[in-house]
Amino acid sequence: MGPDATPALNAFFLWLEATALSTWVRESTSVFAFPAILSVHAIGMGLAAGVNVAMAVRLLGFAPNVPLHEMRRFAPVMWTGFWLNTASGLLLLLGYPTKALTNPVFYMKLSLIAIGMWLYVQMTKRLEEADPRLPPPDLNVRPTLIALASLASWAGAVTTGRLLAYTAKRILATW
Amino acid sequence: MVDFQMWLVRTFARATPVAAMMKTAWGWPAAESIHFIGLCVLVGAIFLFDLRLLGYARRIPIGALHRLIPWGLAGFALTAASGVPFVLTEPDQYVYNPSFHFKMLFMAAAGLNAAAFYVTSYRAATAPDAPADAPPLARIIAVLSLSLWIGVIIAGRLLTFYRPFPCGPEGPGFLAECLPNYYGDAPR
Repeated sequence: MGPDATPALNAFFLWLEATALSTWVRESTSVFAFPAILSVHAIGMGLAAGVNVAMAVRLLGFAPNVPLHEMRRFAPVMWTGFWLNTASGLLLLLGYPTKALTNPVFYMKLSLIAIGMWLYVQMTKRLEEADPRLPPPDLNVRPTLIALASLASWAGAVTTGRLLAYTAKRILATW
Repeated sequence: MVDFQMWLVRTFARATPVAAMMKTAWGWPAAESIHFIGLCVLVGAIFLFDLRLLGYARRIPIGALHRLIPWGLAGFALTAASGVPFVLTEPDQYVYNPSFHFKMLFMAAAGLNAAAFYVTSYRAATAPDAPADAPPLARIIAVLSLSLWIGVIIAGRLLTFYRPFPCGPEGPGFLAECLPNYYGDAPR
């Protein structure tokens, strides 16, 4: 889906952007509208990517006295961030569907998040499988590649997210 | 105070090599991306440690999790190194921006709060034989830390909505929210 969206898709964007919620996200002058949604999105990003970073660096061998098995406890923090960002991200998408969905970088961002989440599941599996009775360092084989790939995918997701503001070719269906 | 702000803007505006780099096609977006990545690394270390002080994941020894703090400092270093160039490139957009004042205030308070942790609670909380539950003062510090850093993120995200505008006839206030006519050209 490049910048030249099909007429049917354009009609869909036009309809979506005319809905009350979309208009509110875009045009409300309240600090609790667009600015608050962006703030929630930044905090959720910190929580979701942050827990992934912490788990990855622990799997890379840093903070060796933290029992691997117990790092799983931070999973709810990760999911809190993830759902905050799903909700705030959907609102942002609703506000500017043409802007996001006609930008290839948006699909790169979503793909990197999907890869990051798959790697998150892989990391938590390693944490769960770690024998809690083993003294630190408590893994025979470190999942170094998974941890490094996780760091790279989250750095990529954050970067592509930031670049959305610079790479959009269209802003609204009417433009 | 406004004179001091004008002095800051003039001083920062002299950092021309930084501004030249930031004004290339990739300068600003690259610095923003590093700024956000640094934020994630900072949150990943500081927030998890604060949550641990509050009793979350209490089977992890506090001293063991403290070993993540250098990553938090590295994250902060990334945000600082990528954040300063913004101010050096567009000083008036920050020096006269109330959201920026709050962001700096929250950041300074978070720094003092972290210092208070090391002065009052670090030893007792992270000793090898320390109890699983952090002392009450450390918990208060943890709540303050979480609140202040969330404040820093929100004020940072709101910067763009509180950009200064040219001052009207009444001129700038104590902390200017509008751009004074500091170049001495005709009133805007």
